Amino acid sequence: MSYKRVRVEDISKPARDLSPTPTGELKPLPSPFDKQDELPKRKELSEAAREKFECDLDGTVVLSHPKPESPEEERVLVEKFLSGLEKLFQAENNWTFLQPLLLSMDHCARCHTCSEACHIYEASGENPIYRPSYRSEVLRRLYKKYVKKGGGLLSDFRNGRIVLNWKTVIRLAELAYRCNLCRRCAQTCPIGVDNGLIAHEIRKLFSMEMSIMPKELHEQGSMQQMKVGSSTGMSALVVKDNIEFIDEDMTDLTGMEVKTPWDVEGADILLIHNAGEILAWPENPGAFGVIFEAAGLSWTLSSEIAGYDSINYGLFYDDAQFARVAIHHASAAKKLGVKKIVLGECGHAHKALTVIADRVLVGDLAVHRESALTTLEDIVMNNRIQCDPSRNDFPVTLHDPCNMVRNMGIVEPQRRVLRKICPQFREMTPHGVDNYCCGGGSGFAIMNGHNFSDWRYHISGRKKFEQILNAFRDELDPSIPKYVCAPCSNCKGQLRDLLDYYGVWEKNRILYGGLVELIVNCMEGVKPGFIEWEWH
Amino acid sequence: MSEFMKVVDGVELPLDEDGFLQEPEMWSEAVAVAFAGDEGVEEMTDEHWKVVNYLREYYLKNKIAPMVRRLCKETGFNVKKIYELFPSGPAKGACKLAGLPKPTGCV
Repeated sequence: MSYKRVRVEDISKPARDLSPTPTGELKPLPSPFDKQDELPKRKELSEAAREKFECDLDGTVVLSHPKPESPEEERVLVEKFLSGLEKLFQAENNWTFLQPLLLSMDHCARCHTCSEACHIYEASGENPIYRPSYRSEVLRRLYKKYVKKGGGLLSDFRNGRIVLNWKTVIRLAELAYRCNLCRRCAQTCPIGVDNGLIAHEIRKLFSMEMSIMPKELHEQGSMQQMKVGSSTGMSALVVKDNIEFIDEDMTDLTGMEVKTPWDVEGADILLIHNAGEILAWPENPGAFGVIFEAAGLSWTLSSEIAGYDSINYGLFYDDAQFARVAIHHASAAKKLGVKKIVLGECGHAHKALTVIADRVLVGDLAVHRESALTTLEDIVMNNRIQCDPSRNDFPVTLHDPCNMVRNMGIVEPQRRVLRKICPQFREMTPHGVDNYCCGGGSGFAIMNGHNFSDWRYHISGRKKFEQILNAFRDELDPSIPKYVCAPCSNCKGQLRDLLDYYGVWEKNRILYGGLVELIVNCMEGVKPGFIEWEWH
Repeated sequence: MSEFMKVVDGVELPLDEDGFLQEPEMWSEAVAVAFAGDEGVEEMTDEHWKVVNYLREYYLKNKIAPMVRRLCKETGFNVKKIYELFPSGPAKGACKLAGLPKPTGCV
């Protein structure tokens, strides 16, 4: 290991990069990807980008924050940060997460158990600033020095040195976007510190107090969703037109008449997909339609604002945006008078609407919410459709989306289905609540500015890539088609990009996709060959 | 010349961090030609224009790019063919040439 030592207080220093991640340090991948010089070359951050934006962390950038033009501008930004820091620790301003934040701010034993659990730290070859505890310790020292009673000058002595300047502020913001918020570290901390939550709280401070956030999540994400109806930019007219197209496509593919119901009052189920599925993986919402119709469910889609797009990017960066979108979702269900909302294959939408939104959806808005994985388990395990597993006789492994599995505990439903319908199903190591993130978590899968996608492929996605290759270790030969089941849009986006980047389809014939596609692929009464391997 | 600007026929066109046109209304056929080389397209053939023109037409009507499946159906090209025409793919390649903004949401 040749990273130089980085102390917590170094974050304020005017160096070019606090701690870059050289390619030579990265943990080697398994064969046949074990020769780094045969892998695609990482794109460097350009000098033009470095000149225009604040980029002094590690050689990549997410936020693209313009450089302040004067010391005065820097001073104003630091003051804003300080005001946000104070608010983060006030009950009236942080009614969502103050208690767990305070618990996590109290103490860190520096045992570094969390570092060992972090796929980003491991993949980087142990870049010290990627320790889950590094950014937390920066925030902890700032909190103890500037917010907590009894702080002040003595705090440096008691709690460790920290200097608050513009470099500290902007690097901390950027560093909050080197964490997938997968919370594998939180699961392992012996004293219950939640470094994932701390990264989330830092993002929130920057968004809510300083309007510093990735445009992919905010302007193009939650803002567009509430204005147009969907983060994809699909209006109600466009989404209906697209679903009609998908229905026709599904009818052709399966030989089963599929017609998706829209805005049916009093239906049992309002199904909400991540709208990205409709555009990028139309066979997924299409397969839902085939299964729900075949099982005879009473269901509908909604054409209300956000009623046809389950994303709630606020979960990743902003509590107010989060609450607004959650209310849109519940209101769409209320308006139709459905019995419950069922969430399609989208991990963060699951956690957002079923768990975190509990704090928002009270009284009249307390609509029942459920995971599609349990709905599908009920349909498959209780034989509400007939399956012929021999149609799925190829190697299949399962990726556990962090938000559904570790963070919600939905572990078995998808596995019961796969064990029943995929004769060659095998687990990754580790799996279930101990899984590793795909590397696209917390919105990274849709962030591609500058050279950040290369950071996803080489660093945050490295561990998952290793796990996938290992799951198919004895069958990597391209004559055997293989399937990674990833029941989450964001994970699929990351897997698509990752597998494409390393040329895995050509070299090893590994395809990725959702759970419903596998179900329809083996449904009796449906034309064989639903999974189109050439659409990799 | 910065990576955040492209000059076509003497007009400066601002680009975003992913190299997409920031103002899709500034598009012209010359812009498509200017982008082509960057995206691995050696020469704009009739087949390339068929894709670009369809994308453009769909975008102007719907303010968003079409589903890839629809693009394939309407042009008669399968995905493999689209990738042959535009090596960086339908979204990062073809849509960029057609002057569409970068796709948003989980796509």
